[in-house]
Amino acid sequence: MPNRGPAVPDEEAASVTLPTRWTVFLRTFLPWQAWRFLRINLKMLGMVRRHH
Amino acid sequence: MSRVVVLGSGIAGHTAASFARRWLPRTETVTVVSPVDRYNWVPSNIWVGVGLMQPHQVTFPLAPVYERHGIEFVHGFARQIHPEGDAGDSRPFVAVERVAGGDGDFLRLPYDFLINATGPRLRFDMTEGLGPEANSMSVCTPEHAQLAARALDRAVERMRRGQRQRFVVGVGHGGCTCEGAAFEYIVNLEFELRARKVRELAEIVWITNEYELGDFGMAGMQMRRSGYLIPASIFTASLFAERGISWITRAHVRKVEPDRLSYETLDGGEAELGFDFAMLLPPFSGVGLRAFDRQGTEITDRLFQPNGFMRVDGDYTPRPFEEWSARDWPRTYQSPAYPNLFAAGIAFAPPHPISRPHTSPRGTVITPAAPRTGMPSAQIGRAVARSVVDMLRGAPRPTATASMAEMGAACVASAGANPFSGTAASMTVYPVVPDYERYPGYGRDMKRTFGEIGLAGHWIKILLHHMFIYKAKLRPGWPLIPE
Repeated sequence: MPNRGPAVPDEEAASVTLPTRWTVFLRTFLPWQAWRFLRINLKMLGMVRRHH
Repeated sequence: MSRVVVLGSGIAGHTAASFARRWLPRTETVTVVSPVDRYNWVPSNIWVGVGLMQPHQVTFPLAPVYERHGIEFVHGFARQIHPEGDAGDSRPFVAVERVAGGDGDFLRLPYDFLINATGPRLRFDMTEGLGPEANSMSVCTPEHAQLAARALDRAVERMRRGQRQRFVVGVGHGGCTCEGAAFEYIVNLEFELRARKVRELAEIVWITNEYELGDFGMAGMQMRRSGYLIPASIFTASLFAERGISWITRAHVRKVEPDRLSYETLDGGEAELGFDFAMLLPPFSGVGLRAFDRQGTEITDRLFQPNGFMRVDGDYTPRPFEEWSARDWPRTYQSPAYPNLFAAGIAFAPPHPISRPHTSPRGTVITPAAPRTGMPSAQIGRAVARSVVDMLRGAPRPTATASMAEMGAACVASAGANPFSGTAASMTVYPVVPDYERYPGYGRDMKRTFGEIGLAGHWIKILLHHMFIYKAKLRPGWPLIPE
């Protein structure tokens, strides 16, 4: 049986910022994500082209 | 006829060799030396490590690709560099120990230009009990990742029998880098445990040498959101809390036993943590190349830092953190000792970490090393190839630059692989190394630094996987795909 050791310090976890249900919903909402797919790709391409 | 020799066939070496071959006429020789005869798209090892991919999906044999494109391939370990040749012949050469020949089968490989892209040596030995041959898993190679996937399967089987399991993921030493890869693994692991319907029996713990979550060895980043500049630590903590992952920061793992690890923290504390499954990345060093002058006198310390990484055109003068500058970082990656010698990717020695260094009361340095993988590695490989080709054509000095303090990076960190319910964190950061003179305050251009989590990131991650493997296979149109 593994030594369970000291409690993992999780006090910080109680005070973190959590997403709203709407934010979580948008993360996998297909129409919104299709739009984000285009936007993020353009942002990344801009970053790459800036160096080239 | 000239010969460009590239040591290493990872992201930096393969990119450098591919562009050198493209830009040089076939009368010139491009030779790649590597002990590994398969290309590995390392970022996807994460998915091998959770059992979603097999090693053959993230690797392919290099020899047919090189044969098709006229790149000579030597399957062996580069052991020694002789930048002045030897007493009998003044042409520089590399001593290569061939894999097929066994010990002592050395090949003398002359070069006109040498690009050292040997990548890291995985230093599991720096922490007692660390590594797949001892007590913890890794995803550094496809083989390691496959072992991790099998260990995960066994843990899931135990959970299906009702046993609770503790998973510890992170880095196995205070001086590690690549925290981003370990981060990807832990969130993918959590997602996979949910998909296998055993999540409620799992406790998942992140252990890291970062001072704050989200540092990733590049001093973290700030992102604009709702009128605020929010640090990455907030986003990372949020992601972990949302998924029920607890964390231990500022930790140096000292010892890993079969069912527990002991660690030291920056405040001088010591603790033990039991586990049933541990995936802990190792620290890196250079691969141990040695160098000799014409008389046979060893000059390794002239070419390399004590950690084995190659000194290039950076400023390596030891200075306190407050005096570090973006200008310390190398731009051309040319060795100051020999103008026909370059380093690319992990093989070059960073002048110092990017994150503020911290030392525990016992004197243990607990600071992430500077990451230089993925997109920066490829961009450095391409810039070095450009300089080498131009110098072969008569340019007196390197013509291309790729300073990490002048380049941005785009990163997509998988947080769960499913085409409809998966997510990934998409980030861009500019520049990689903060430049506090150009961008007072945070050191970065806030218009070009952003991050968000969503399914779109997962689609991009899948797209990048296929696109970069296509590019690495040098299929038609490969130069059009950016690094």
